[in-house]
Amino acid sequence: MAEAATATGVVCRETLDARVAGSPAWLADRRTAAWDAFSAMPAPSSSRDEDWRRTDIAKLHLDRFAAAGTPARELVELAQSRHATALPGAALVLCGPDGGVTVENAESLLAQGVIVSSLEEAAERHPDLVQRGLSGIGIGESYFVAMWNALWRGGVFIHVPAGMQAVAPVWIAHLAAGDEQASFPATLVVLDDHASLTLVEDLVGPADPAPRLSVAVTAFQLGEDARLDDIPVQQLPPETWHFSTRRANCGTSAHYRLFGATLGARLQKAYWDVILEGRGSEADVFAVCFADAHQHIDHQSLQLHRGPDTRSNLLLKVAARDHAQSVYGGLIDVLPGAIHADGYVVNRNLLLSQGASASGVPRLEIKANDVRCGHGTTVGHVDDEERFYLMARGIPADDAERLVVRGYFADVLDRVPLETTREWLLALVDAEIGDGGGGGLDADEVAP
Amino acid sequence: MSEIAEQARVVAATNAAGAPPTAELHVDGLRVSVEGKPILDGVDLRVPVGQVHVLMGPNGSGKSTLAYSLMGHPKYQVTGGAASFDGQDLLALTPDRRAKLGLFLSFQNPIAIPGVTTVNFLRAALRAQGKELPAREFIARLGEEMTALRMDASFRSRYINDGFSGGEKKRAETLQLAMLEPRLAILDEPDSGLDVDALRIVADGVLRIMEKSEGRMGVLLITHYYRILENLTPDRVHIMHQGRIVDSGGPELAHLIEREGYDPYTTATSPPGTEVSRP
Ligand SMILES: Nc1ncnc2c1ncn2[C@@H]1O[C@H](COP(=O)(O)OP(=O)(O)OP(=O)(O)O)[C@@H](O)[C@H]1O
Ligand SMILES: [Mg+2]
Repeated sequence: MAEAATATGVVCRETLDARVAGSPAWLADRRTAAWDAFSAMPAPSSSRDEDWRRTDIAKLHLDRFAAAGTPARELVELAQSRHATALPGAALVLCGPDGGVTVENAESLLAQGVIVSSLEEAAERHPDLVQRGLSGIGIGESYFVAMWNALWRGGVFIHVPAGMQAVAPVWIAHLAAGDEQASFPATLVVLDDHASLTLVEDLVGPADPAPRLSVAVTAFQLGEDARLDDIPVQQLPPETWHFSTRRANCGTSAHYRLFGATLGARLQKAYWDVILEGRGSEADVFAVCFADAHQHIDHQSLQLHRGPDTRSNLLLKVAARDHAQSVYGGLIDVLPGAIHADGYVVNRNLLLSQGASASGVPRLEIKANDVRCGHGTTVGHVDDEERFYLMARGIPADDAERLVVRGYFADVLDRVPLETTREWLLALVDAEIGDGGGGGLDADEVAP
Repeated sequence: MSEIAEQARVVAATNAAGAPPTAELHVDGLRVSVEGKPILDGVDLRVPVGQVHVLMGPNGSGKSTLAYSLMGHPKYQVTGGAASFDGQDLLALTPDRRAKLGLFLSFQNPIAIPGVTTVNFLRAALRAQGKELPAREFIARLGEEMTALRMDASFRSRYINDGFSGGEKKRAETLQLAMLEPRLAILDEPDSGLDVDALRIVADGVLRIMEKSEGRMGVLLITHYYRILENLTPDRVHIMHQGRIVDSGGPELAHLIEREGYDPYTTATSPPGTEVSRP
């Protein structure tokens, strides 16, 4: 499994050659084309590229990151315990940074005719389906996507056949690479017409401060009237460089819902795109982000309305503490065919320290008639009156602030559709904020 | 009584130099400014635990300012005087420490805190004050108190004061008073904006909490209405005008205000009563 480490790191021609050698012809061609595109492209620059203006990666040295080895046992156990706590009934797919993939607890899904397998394996066995899954991802559309196209390994592929409601959710754990190593997480999901699925994608790693590189792509194809609930959790180690693209292409009347939590990494650049192709397709994106220390967390969203009567709604709530920086850019793009489009985007930021900062720039581009679109962004602090109210009840200032942050996130986290996962996410966010004494009773315990 | 309160009492008792035998709120010549503007102009007040003191006065006379200042709101700057409870200097303490010492403020206009459920908030507050109950016991007590205040069970999981009506907020404040069992409760107009039935429920609630405390809780009740005093007979009534206590007396003083208003205080150049407030 292990690849020979080279002086230039894993992002190199030799790695590509090894990947090409292990791929079916169609994929080998795709990888080679992607590598050529990548090699011809300069790295994104904060002075040249508009969407990188506030995120500077000049200090990223790719050759520093070697090929990933097999994951440590503790990390595998951590990933397993998160699944066991949050959604034990889900099928579990463990993806090592070295390309090793195991699928557990998927019998009921497989019996339904659902495919849950490694992406490499699916590329051999179901080339048509995998090509469909990849059809929304351009080979050389950007620097990091091109890199990923050339070098991804392992990965997950899920296909739900027409009319099938997946009987169990799927929990995908992408394990972080080791010290000074790189990983290329890959998730592809194809839902045929009238199919539905719930998915958790957990990007998980140890808390140790070694630098790592993570370049990820997650792509969804939703057929007519398909439903996908997507729960991405990013809790990568604190010195990780994380670049990701997450894209859902929605067919007629399809409904995509994202409930996300961004917690980890030193620097993140994440693109969240929903492409509303089919008439009447819908997307709801709700996410929280907590950043502290020196984290620099960048979310870029696209709500692309192509079809008529399409609807999208995005709410990203960020809280930043210490010297953390949040950057957000969001575009609602309504193409000429998308009459009666309805699009909304809101980014809220709560700054908890003098040194923390946030910028949110939502934009609208409307090329169709008769549409309804709106956007908003806010930056605020913990209200003095709220803090005083809590302190007047005996709660110390720090805990009061944590309670307020927890409350601030509640309207997103309360929407997470699976109760055990919601509780787990609340606990995860609480732990990131520091226990504010807010944890305690959930609705069930309180019920008479 | 809670452990913390017990400790504070012991500290006060051993700290013999001038410390009162029962816990008492002492306010001496308190001066307070808001955003540079002087509001309180030397307030003197004594409220011993076990008594109900009423504070009345025209709008804008500084009653809420006194309440906030005693609780430690950062906007209110103390520019002179002293305030202590049970022999402990309040002005040196952050609001949470004052609460742990036994102070409680029922807000005239409590703020909503979206996303924080009443139940989790109360639990956090009890824990912070060292009064945490086992979950089952806590839920049972909360249930009892809510029933007594005729609050629907759904309020437990609603966000604090978020979308509450004026009357619901007052009940929720009273619920917190009941759960937190303070030693000195400052109630800033717990009766305003209530319909007759709600007023009786809240007044009965306060009385019940008072009785349950068996003399271990003092009340400083700010009100504009005589009606709440039909349930809660005050030991003393204080009148505030332009940032000072200008008169103090027994319950009959509240009657007088009810009949004649504040004219005698606001029109006279020197107030009719010059008695310094003493319990
Ligand atoms: N936060 C504040 N900012 C500015 N001015 C304030 C503030 N709080 C109080 N004041 C001013 O201080 C004065 C006293 O106000 P306070 O709220 O203490 O009066 P009150 O006696 O409680 O009146 P009411 O009976 O109407 O509740 C008023 O003139 C008010 O405008
Ligand atoms: Mg007032």
